[in-house]
Parts: sequence; C-alpha cells; structure tokens
Amino acid sequence: MNRVQPGDATKGAGPSRSARLIPPPASILWGVAIVITTLLVYLSRELVLLLFVSAALAYLLSPLVRTAESAAIRRELAVTGLFITLVVTLLLAAYFLVPRLRAEVSTLYRTSSSLTERLDEAIDAIQKEITTDYPAARRMFPEREARYDRLNAFIEHQTANVPNLVSHLATIVLAGVLIPFFTYFLLRDSRRIVQFLMDRLPPVHIETSVAVWCQIDQIIGRYLRGLAMDGLVIGVAAASGLWVLGVNYPLLLGAFSGLANVVPFLGPILGGGVAMLVALIQFKSLAPLGKVLVLYLGIKLLDDVVIQPMTIGHSVHLHPALLIASVIVGEHAFGLIGMIVAVPAVTVLQETTRLLLERRHHQAGLPDTHPRRGVPIQHFVC
Amino acid sequence: MASLHWRDWATDPEQLRRLDFLGKVPLFAGLSRHQLGKLLVKLFEKEYAPGETIFLEGEPGKALFIVLDGTVSIFHAGHGAEERVTSLARGAYFGELALIDDLPRSASARADAQSVLLILYKSHFDDLIEGHSTIAIRVMGNLLKALAGYVRAAHARSADHATTLPGSATALEQGEKPLERPDR
Repeated sequence: MNRVQPGDATKGAGPSRSARLIPPPASILWGVAIVITTLLVYLSRELVLLLFVSAALAYLLSPLVRTAESAAIRRELAVTGLFITLVVTLLLAAYFLVPRLRAEVSTLYRTSSSLTERLDEAIDAIQKEITTDYPAARRMFPEREARYDRLNAFIEHQTANVPNLVSHLATIVLAGVLIPFFTYFLLRDSRRIVQFLMDRLPPVHIETSVAVWCQIDQIIGRYLRGLAMDGLVIGVAAASGLWVLGVNYPLLLGAFSGLANVVPFLGPILGGGVAMLVALIQFKSLAPLGKVLVLYLGIKLLDDVVIQPMTIGHSVHLHPALLIASVIVGEHAFGLIGMIVAVPAVTVLQETTRLLLERRHHQAGLPDTHPRRGVPIQHFVC
Repeated sequence: MASLHWRDWATDPEQLRRLDFLGKVPLFAGLSRHQLGKLLVKLFEKEYAPGETIFLEGEPGKALFIVLDGTVSIFHAGHGAEERVTSLARGAYFGELALIDDLPRSASARADAQSVLLILYKSHFDDLIEGHSTIAIRVMGNLLKALAGYVRAAHARSADHATTLPGSATALEQGEKPLERPDR
C-alpha cells in the first residue's frame, strides 16, 4: 500500500487528488466573503448610503419604540404613531422656523453676488487696523490686486459645485422619499430581522453572536443618538451665542454648526470658520472676530468636557491615529456620509474582533489576562 | 367595554404573556410590571432542538438564559466524564454568573427537549441597571440570595464530605482508627 509520508509533497511529488479536494480553511472563505461584500457595497454605494442614513434614523428613534413596546403596545402601532407625531412636529417646526430661515437664506443669496468685494473690503479694513497699530506688519500682507484675484479664484472654485446640486435634485427628492420609507420598515421589522438571523445561527455560536450583535447595537445606537443630541446642543449654543454677539444669520449659522459638528475634527472648524467669515464681512474689525472665535472655542471646550461625555460617552474607544485614518478613508470611499459613518464602523470592527479573539483565547485555554478580572478573592464565606 | 376592545387591539398578547412569565422568574421577583417591560425588550429568543449545546464549560460567559419552554440540563466536566449537575424547567434561569463577572463558564448547558430560551446579554443588563437603581437593587438582591443559597449548599456538601473522610471526627467516633502521623 502506498502511504503518503509527511513531507512527500515538498520532495517534488504533486499534491494528491484528495489533498486538492480539501476545502480551504474557514478563515479564507470568510476573508473572500468580506472582500466580495465590501466590493458590492462600494459598487452600490448610493443605495447603501440611503440605507445607512435610514438605519441611523431608525437607531435614533428606536428607544421611543422600545419604550412603547415595554408597555406591551404593538410595535406596528408604536412605529406608526411615532411617524405621525414626527410629521406633525416637522410641520409645526416648518411653520414657525422656515420663514425666518428662508429670510436669512434669501438675504445671503441676494448679497452673495458681491461676496468677493465685501470680503475684500473686510480684509482690507482689518489690514488697516493691524498696520495702524503695528506698521511693521505691512510687509506681511500681499498687494490688494493680487489678493483680490486669489480671493476671486478661491470663491469661484468653492462655488463651482453648486450648480451640480441642481442636477442631483432627482436623487435628493428620491432620498427624501426613500429614507422615511426605509426608516419605517427598519424600525417596524428590526426585531423580526434579528430574530430571523438568530433562528439561523448555530446554537453553539449563539452566545458570541448575541454578544457581538449587542456590542454593535450599543456602539452604533449610543454613537448616533449621542451625535444627534450633541449636534442639537451645539447648534442651539452657537445660534444663541451668535445672536447675543449680533452676528447676522444666527439661525442659519447655528443650524450649520450643529450639522457640521457630526463630522469628526473637521466639523467644528468648518462651523466656526463660516461664522467667523460672516462676522468678518459684517463688522470689518478684529474685535468681533475675536469674540466669535472665543465663542466657538468655548462651545468646543463645553462639548469636549460636558456634552460629549454625557451624550456619546465612552461608546467610542479608538486610538486618535486610527480615528483620523478612518475619517480620511471614509471620506475617500463615501464622501461626507463616509466621514460620519467611519468612526462607528471602525469601532464596531474593533469590538467584534476583540470579542472573537477573546472567544478563541478561551478555547485555546490560554491564561486569563483581562485587567478587570484581577478582583481579590475571599477564600472563606460565612 | 369599548376601552377594553381598544386596549386589546393596541396591546401585543405575546408581550403580555411574556410579562406574566417574567414576573414569575425568581431572579426578577419584586419588579413592577413597568420594570419587567423594560427588561423584556432587552431579551432575545432562541429555540434549541433536543441535545443541542447551549454553551460549553470554559467558554466566555456573556449572557443569562431563562427557560421559556422545555428542559435544560447543566453538566460539569468531572474526572474524565461529564457529570449532570441539575435539570431546569420552565421559569428557571442559568448562566447568571455571566451577569457578575467576565470569567469562563463553570459548567456546560444542553437542551434535553425542544426548548425555547430567553437570552439577556450582560451589556444590556448593565445598561438597564445603570439607569434604573430600583431594578438594580431588586435583581442584584435576588441574585445575591441565590448565590448565598449556593454557598450554603456547597458548605453543607463539603461539611458532609469532610465528616465521611477518613480521619475526620465523625469517622473516628464511628470507630475508625486514627491515622498515624508519619515520623520524619
């Protein structure tokens, strides 16, 4: 009988027929599945983005549905009631806030044709203010003509994409219809979807699967709800502060600051930058500009020390370098939404890997090194 | 009469049945219906076929299991063979130590018959008790009572075992010759 001795294959003989038929290890199959899924997600990213936004909205609203469900109210009824309440609230908000916001937008639109001139005038006034006090600073500023050309080119470049928004109107309208539709069904059927997946999971893996699912649910839920609450508080604080300082368009700028805040790192800079630009054009002086800067620095400090720990809390445990890298990769792959989604997505991956490694660690019978487990044990209880 | 119909239409009978069931689980004794409702929405459900493993000894424990239907046996790996510790029926719970620490499971669990279990994951439980001190006190109190019971039972067992060990006071009283101290 011919027996294949260990190492025969390495001695020049090809792999036997049975060896060729051995399926690849599960880890390779999982890797291939992940790569194919990522590719499919990337190719259909517009639909995926709509689903992402819908899922985010569903996460924001799910605590309200769960509260109703805990009182044994039918889920369908709770979701429908919630949607009706939301529509009424939005209509009321539109009735009271939209006329004021529209007035601010139309004023901004009317004056935007002369934006370059007004900005140039403001910069000129500030230059004069500085050079009056510090004549030596004159050498630092470029000639007015050169500055005007550069400013004009910059504004033209920044506003070049605005007409594209009109061409994307159909997509925006479609999103306006599809997002509430997806959100409704995700909210209504999320429990059924989870149950469907649970029923198909092998029982021996259920505990780790439930652990992973709960971790994902908690991280995404806490992050998104925290982000929304954070944005709301920042928006209100910025609008109130700008209104007190007498800066134009406080509602618009507050809304922009709140929305921009959802983008990690870049958001607060963008919100504060636009407010300072408006203050620069309006006051043409350094002092109000400084006040707006102090206002935004104060809001950022308040956000980091008080608001974020209360809203987002410790749901995200990413190394700062990984956090920045994830935001950059997210922006390259999915644009603005990618920047917002990147942080929870990477946190979920990190937590899932940690839980799976922990399970493998236990299965391999390795010694326990978990820091939380170092609790002193009393050897006698009476 | 009309209000009764309206309530029937608005409420989920399955959820109501589960609320009643949870109220009878010893771990949740003393919780109000409102508090049980908060707990109920955190639970997952899973059906197990007879003989299916629920968890294995030595695996990381992440959740508490409540028997909604069927029977479950708990096994402990003895010297070479599995030793059946207990059998649990509807309303019983197991895996409760996972709610306290992150240590590996101290026993294995297997479904004896077609069983439906409710699963409460530790992080969901932690979330619940963080925001609701009354729930925390009640559940932790019940859990402590159960653990105190286990400790007392273990002490009683070890005391019984000690009395029957060769050289123990009871064994000596029963006429056993004392062991000779080996000379050094």
